[in-house]
Amino acid sequence: MSALSFENINKLYWLGRYSERVFTSLKAFAEKFDAMLSYGSHESRAEFAQRICFDKSDQSSIYSGLLKAYDNAIVLRDEIGSETFSYVQLALYEMSRAEKAVAPLLHLQKVIDNIVAFWGMADDIIEDERVRGIIKLGKRIERIDLFARMGAPENDIRREVRRMSYRIAKTGVRYEPEKLSEINSMANESVINRPEFINKLEALIEI
Amino acid sequence: MPIQLKELCRRADDVNELLARYGVKFGIYKGGKFHEQLFPFDMIPRIIDASDFAYLERGLKQRVKALNEFIKDIYSERKIIRDGVIAEEFIYSGSGYLVQCDGLAPPKNIYTHISGIDLVQGKDQSWYILEDNLRIPSGASYPMMARNLCRRSAPEIFEQYAIADNRNYPEILLRTMNYVNTGGLSVILTPGRFNAAYFEHSYFAEKTGAHLVTCDELVVENEHLYFTDYSGKREKVGAVYRRISDEYLDPVNFNRESLIGIAHIFDVYARGNLAIINAPGNGVADDKGIYYFVPAMIKYYLGEEPILQNAPTYLPYYEQDMQYVLENFDKLVLKDVAEAGGYGVLFGSKLSRTEKENFIALLKSEPRRFIAQEVIDFLDIDIYDNDKLVPRKADLRAFVLMSDEPVVWKSGLTRFSRNPDSFIVNSSQGGGFKDTWVMEA
Repeated sequence: MSALSFENINKLYWLGRYSERVFTSLKAFAEKFDAMLSYGSHESRAEFAQRICFDKSDQSSIYSGLLKAYDNAIVLRDEIGSETFSYVQLALYEMSRAEKAVAPLLHLQKVIDNIVAFWGMADDIIEDERVRGIIKLGKRIERIDLFARMGAPENDIRREVRRMSYRIAKTGVRYEPEKLSEINSMANESVINRPEFINKLEALIEI
Repeated sequence: MPIQLKELCRRADDVNELLARYGVKFGIYKGGKFHEQLFPFDMIPRIIDASDFAYLERGLKQRVKALNEFIKDIYSERKIIRDGVIAEEFIYSGSGYLVQCDGLAPPKNIYTHISGIDLVQGKDQSWYILEDNLRIPSGASYPMMARNLCRRSAPEIFEQYAIADNRNYPEILLRTMNYVNTGGLSVILTPGRFNAAYFEHSYFAEKTGAHLVTCDELVVENEHLYFTDYSGKREKVGAVYRRISDEYLDPVNFNRESLIGIAHIFDVYARGNLAIINAPGNGVADDKGIYYFVPAMIKYYLGEEPILQNAPTYLPYYEQDMQYVLENFDKLVLKDVAEAGGYGVLFGSKLSRTEKENFIALLKSEPRRFIAQEVIDFLDIDIYDNDKLVPRKADLRAFVLMSDEPVVWKSGLTRFSRNPDSFIVNSSQGGGFKDTWVMEA
């Protein structure tokens, strides 16, 4: 197990977070896009796709999230390997094709597929357990955060908190165990106080 | 050799797509903005047969040994100047000479760990050396990566012919780093993501297992260099393959405005506690003006006749050469010794009358700044362009890595001009690349 610098831990963590952000956001986007076919909307599908998905000038668009995942991946080739990196590159390529496509969901599915392949390859090929673990930790924290913000059922959040709690101790990343306990307690309340829960979650990791 | 060119070319799009997939790119600044570009790859390789390569190998080893001796001499006894082989103006007025290196010897006396020697082959099949790149030569990663993908796309060719495997470059590089390592980690120091050759830095780190680091991750303490990990633990570094030029390497000893260097790293090197690859101060030998003297260096240090020849070169600094240059201006190519990457190159025949007059005035006022060379009618190599084969100018960058002995990598970066009227092959000016196949005997 080789030494990991602070910078690389930070980048691995955010690579995990941004890849998850793209994945979960795209799935939500696809559902909404499909619903528009039946129920209509105040904006056209093209406007909706541009605003949520393709607007690179908006830092919170899905495309921007993917570019940030790429920015982290490209400087981690020595940690994650060219094979693993290539799936982020492929996801970006499919995103650029989706942007120009008449039926963007077809290409966006390939973005999702490549993100999943990236995770699979990372899990399979990266020898250093910490490197794998930090990407997964980023992914878990982002998923909890998104679920809490997007109104996912309490049970889904609880499940993700359990998975994250199991993962965190294995990574060597600094965190406060008391904060983790508080997050677990909050997740197990019948109704989660989501704004407070998100604040605690975002303060958990010291990176 | 009847290589099935059509088979290769048929799969060109697939291979270029794979190169894109693996992020085989180079960076370029246009209008002050950074762009990542794919390096256009042509499937048709340059093929060098075994006997031709054996000849190149002997010549390249000889040249690199002499250049290493020259740098050692310049920063110690300066016998070559005392003996009148090279005028001292050519040493001290060049930007590559570093006074800070005087009296210092690198680990194992190796300065030229990685040399990128640019050659062209004339239409008469003779090879000519065009340039010696002894600072931070780049480009080996591209043919290596391309080879990997071509083997996938045309397995029958690699099965049928004995082509030397070029994917051993990282092994040779690691051996070079380990040989001079003073005890500790070997790291690759990159200026960062927005460097033109960042792909190569990260790819070599991946393939050698060396840490890819930026200046923020290294610190000097107690006359040693350390890598600091996340927990604050420090590990000693014994070899730095730096992809940062001398002037930005250490803001205390060189350019004070450098934000990408490491304060006092040069002091660690000066104490003998660190190998820096390539050694600081090597620029003194890859100056285009010094190139003129390399055949004389070979005779002087090794007592041998040069195996490989320079392109016919003139130094306007010498009156006789200046006269020749002025009389034959239109058939010469003129190069600014301070420039690189295909910049600062002028073809006499392509200048307007005013441009020519202005340039000659500049040449007379700064004769040390330029060299002139005969334009070599180099052998064209076919590239596959829009479903047909077209000839283009191409050079070859051969890589020589030094450990206990110099090793010539059995491949090289063949760069070609995509413009039919141009001799400039550099990637920064739109050139593409080919793999270089060295045939086994």
